[in-house]
Amino acid sequence: MTSDTSSMTAKVVALQIIVLCSFLGFWELAAQANWLNPLLIGRPSAIGAFLWDEIFVSKGLWIDFYWSMAGMLASFVLGSVAGVLCGMLFVSKPLIEAVLNPFLTALNAMPRIALAPLFLIWFGLGLGSKIAVGFSLTFFIVLSSTVAGGRGVNPDHLVLAKTLGASQTQVFRKFVLPSAVPVVFNGLRLGLVFALLGVIGTEILASEHGLGQRLTVLAASFRTSGVFAIIILLALIGVTINGAMGLLERHLLRWR
Amino acid sequence: MARLKSEFVSGSLYEGREVPQLEAEAGIVLDKVSISFGSGAVHAVADFSLTVRPGEFVSIVGPSGCGKTTILNLLAGLLPPKSATGQVLIGAGVPEAGNQNVAYMLARDALAPWRTALSNAELGMEIRGVPPAERRSRAAGLLRQVGLESFESAFPKALSHGMRQRVALARTFGLSSRILLMDEPFGALDAQTKLQLQEVLLGLWQNERRTVVFITHDLSEAIVMSDRVIVMSARPGRILANIPIDLGRPRSVRALQSDPHYHELYAKVWTKLEEGMAK
Repeated sequence: MTSDTSSMTAKVVALQIIVLCSFLGFWELAAQANWLNPLLIGRPSAIGAFLWDEIFVSKGLWIDFYWSMAGMLASFVLGSVAGVLCGMLFVSKPLIEAVLNPFLTALNAMPRIALAPLFLIWFGLGLGSKIAVGFSLTFFIVLSSTVAGGRGVNPDHLVLAKTLGASQTQVFRKFVLPSAVPVVFNGLRLGLVFALLGVIGTEILASEHGLGQRLTVLAASFRTSGVFAIIILLALIGVTINGAMGLLERHLLRWR
Repeated sequence: MARLKSEFVSGSLYEGREVPQLEAEAGIVLDKVSISFGSGAVHAVADFSLTVRPGEFVSIVGPSGCGKTTILNLLAGLLPPKSATGQVLIGAGVPEAGNQNVAYMLARDALAPWRTALSNAELGMEIRGVPPAERRSRAAGLLRQVGLESFESAFPKALSHGMRQRVALARTFGLSSRILLMDEPFGALDAQTKLQLQEVLLGLWQNERRTVVFITHDLSEAIVMSDRVIVMSARPGRILANIPIDLGRPRSVRALQSDPHYHELYAKVWTKLEEGMAK
């Protein structure tokens, strides 16, 4: 059974490598033979060369990478802390939620990237503006998942707590909070992805440094292979984030 | 209330037995209790009078919807105060949610899935402020008594229904309350597991002789466990019969299955229950 599954996995991985290589090979061929204009589609070999040079030789990409990651982490941490705190406040004080809900819904419905020009005026081309956009995305996602999680407490637990004579604080700490964790965690995972989206989006509009800013410059000068290289890098960052959050979740929620 | 209390403590309700004054903390008196909901729209329980002596194991049986659980919720202090009339005395006081003298066990195990078996067994004591070292050793001892000593660090998802209910028993018995209110705790278990858990509960109870009010729809369960079985009618629930179970103690649930007197009692309770349903 186990050896069956592992040989199956090996087969799948081998086939995936073949698929990827043939795709890249065909792409390279199409560009070399000029079936499609290389100016539009770039070349896999040039993408590889670009990444090699920028990462290991001239190391020019690192500063942009650091700026984007710093922006993403800062907006994620600020957005999720604010989202969790605000969500818990809403769960324990429904009146506050009832009052604020329409305003927050309106804010959340607005395409947040539209705020970027405003934030650029307020916070300039540095970290501030991208953190503001990333925050505005992360906050609402984490907020709504926290509210959903906080409401999802098992009614049996509340009856039990009541008959045990639990205080409000005890009910919150021992039942509401832990039962909210899985739902909140889903929100955090999405929040991190959206923090990246907000930061890269703002950098594309205007920024001193950052992968998004680099992307715009490369595209404006028709260095298509470089554009693809950045896109691939961003995809890898996204995959890594998801994987890391998955690991953390498996550890924290091992009781599920 | 005062009259009830003095009668209760003076011993006139104890058929001549000497009962220490303190023990009143473990007794229950319901006097002409009626319960209705939705400002009288639903009449759940009518004219219900029952006295449970300290250390007594009393089961309440009846058709579903007869108000058995409502009585238990009243005793646990979970009903809105205005829904009941008549007098209620539990542990020498009025019902109140969170009364330290009362432990409540639900039909579903209500284990916290994020806590291990041991930590779940500690939960009740934790909320009632038992110091960590003490509650840990008590919980571990109880898990041993319910046969789960090797599952201390297992999460509920890894436990069977029966094992989860054993943890809930440990959580309930970990509390030092003199009165236990149990709402069909074994209702969702298969017949075999149920017998095992009845033995476990009897074992725990026989050590300490706490007062138990046990709700069930299973007549044989009521008979093997109890000192008395109360039979209720369909809604509004009234007491149809109050049948003493004069089987010796300690009892073995399995041995009783072949005891002729057990079967006589079963027939008696069944007849009463059927009369109630026919009306």
